[in-house]
Amino acid sequence: MGGGTFPARGTLAPAWSLRMIPQYDVALADFTNGIRAWRLWGRLGWQEIKRRYRRTAIGPFWTTLSLGIFVAGLGVVWASLWNQDPKTYLPFLCAGMLGWNLVQSNINDGCTVFVGGEAFIKQLPFPYSMLVWSGVWRNLIVFGHNLCIFVLIGFYAGVPVTAASLLLLPALLLTSLNALWMATVLGVVCARYRDVQQVVASLLQVAMFVTPIFFTRDQLGPRFARFVDFNVLYHYVDIIRSPLLGRAPEVWSWIVVTGMLCLGGAGTLWFYSRFRRRVAYWL
Amino acid sequence: MILLEDVIVDFPIYGSAKSFRTELLGRATGGFIRREGRRQNRVAVRALESVSLKLSKGDRLGIVGPNGAGKSTLLGVLAGVYTPRGGRVVIEGRVSPLFNTAPGLDADDTGYENIVTCGMFLGMSRAEIEANTPAIAEFTELGDYLNLPVRTYSAGMIMRLAFAIATSINPEILLLDEGLGAGDARFAERAKARLDSLIERSSIVAVASHDEGLIRGVCNRAVLLDGGHVAAAGGVDDVLETYRERRSRP
Repeated sequence: MGGGTFPARGTLAPAWSLRMIPQYDVALADFTNGIRAWRLWGRLGWQEIKRRYRRTAIGPFWTTLSLGIFVAGLGVVWASLWNQDPKTYLPFLCAGMLGWNLVQSNINDGCTVFVGGEAFIKQLPFPYSMLVWSGVWRNLIVFGHNLCIFVLIGFYAGVPVTAASLLLLPALLLTSLNALWMATVLGVVCARYRDVQQVVASLLQVAMFVTPIFFTRDQLGPRFARFVDFNVLYHYVDIIRSPLLGRAPEVWSWIVVTGMLCLGGAGTLWFYSRFRRRVAYWL
Repeated sequence: MILLEDVIVDFPIYGSAKSFRTELLGRATGGFIRREGRRQNRVAVRALESVSLKLSKGDRLGIVGPNGAGKSTLLGVLAGVYTPRGGRVVIEGRVSPLFNTAPGLDADDTGYENIVTCGMFLGMSRAEIEANTPAIAEFTELGDYLNLPVRTYSAGMIMRLAFAIATSINPEILLLDEGLGAGDARFAERAKARLDSLIERSSIVAVASHDEGLIRGVCNRAVLLDGGHVAAAGGVDDVLETYRERRSRP
């Protein structure tokens, strides 16, 4: 049978009373079995992209195109507004938007991951993390599409390709792993409290304008610039933006993002081992 | 092997207006709906109360009972979908729940694409799916339609496709809710043969149904659920007899 896709074999659901006894084994098995089901989530993510292609002339490139129009329009106007060279500002804005879009869609999709998977969760025993993986994978594919815009702008502006550009790969890996725990927690919370999704979406919208994406942190002036270090989202964007621009990201950004992964991962294990079993009841 | 000991399942109720909840609680519903929490402000429906059950190889269990008795919830527990609130559950073996339609069926994908996606959701490997595809295609009699998006199908055609995919698995423990719909009458005969063979291949089967014929035809034991309790258990005929008596009582 199915190559061990589902964790049912020999599973022992332990006895528990009315208190929330953590099931670390269940949470960990959910995670590892989720990875093992990569064929299925890989397919789900890919089919989702393919569906966007259907009956449209350029499919998912619509999001790419709208990003391109956004960057070109805003970039030219704001570059002249702030007396910046479009050849520096456009790539900066575009790379920042690429990073931001990835982070934002990972978080927003995380909110709906279990609510959207209700039909599966109520019908089949399977690792829920598989749904999370499929969303993260889908967003990576979209990122790949959006990268085309950056390549175009990069050519126009003469963005250098350096050894630091290769740092994009570990950056994407770190971003995706972070997205995994965030989506898991948000997915569970949003299954129980449906308002959270709206709250997260609104906060992210504001965060886009507060985080240095349209402007550099230097432009903020010394008074506010130091607060940027505490803006986690800035670091998530920075580790993607800097390699795209051919620069190495700040060391502090790597530290923050890796630290978030460790802390978030541990916290998620704590959380998920207690509340995973409730998800089916909340949907 | 499946073992349930004193299984309790509660469904929390959220989002219903306060007054509605008060009204619900005001009516004596036999204790299925209960308040809990420190301030008695949470409401939960008890779907299963102290259910114990053991299924071993060769068992074909029929689950009967009136609407809302907990049949589907019990299947959900057997499937591992619902972790019970109390009691013990041991599931040894691969469980294949076939509830409702095929999981992952997407109207925008073609029939063939859906065979692969649903097959994978049901736990089949790519190789198994490839091997089964001709038989599935043949059974559905959909021909070239399988290359078209499922949204172009009629309801009956979708049903046939879902049925053909679902019955192509090789389950260890098979769970069925109300049998499986097979579409129009012309297919009833062939569908029955296919379902019988699926049940034949399974080591353990549990079926929840209102259809006495199905239960008699398939099962070698039965339980009667009522209000989340096991009201009777044992041989199919005895349990169905008890069920009929209970129904005829005012």
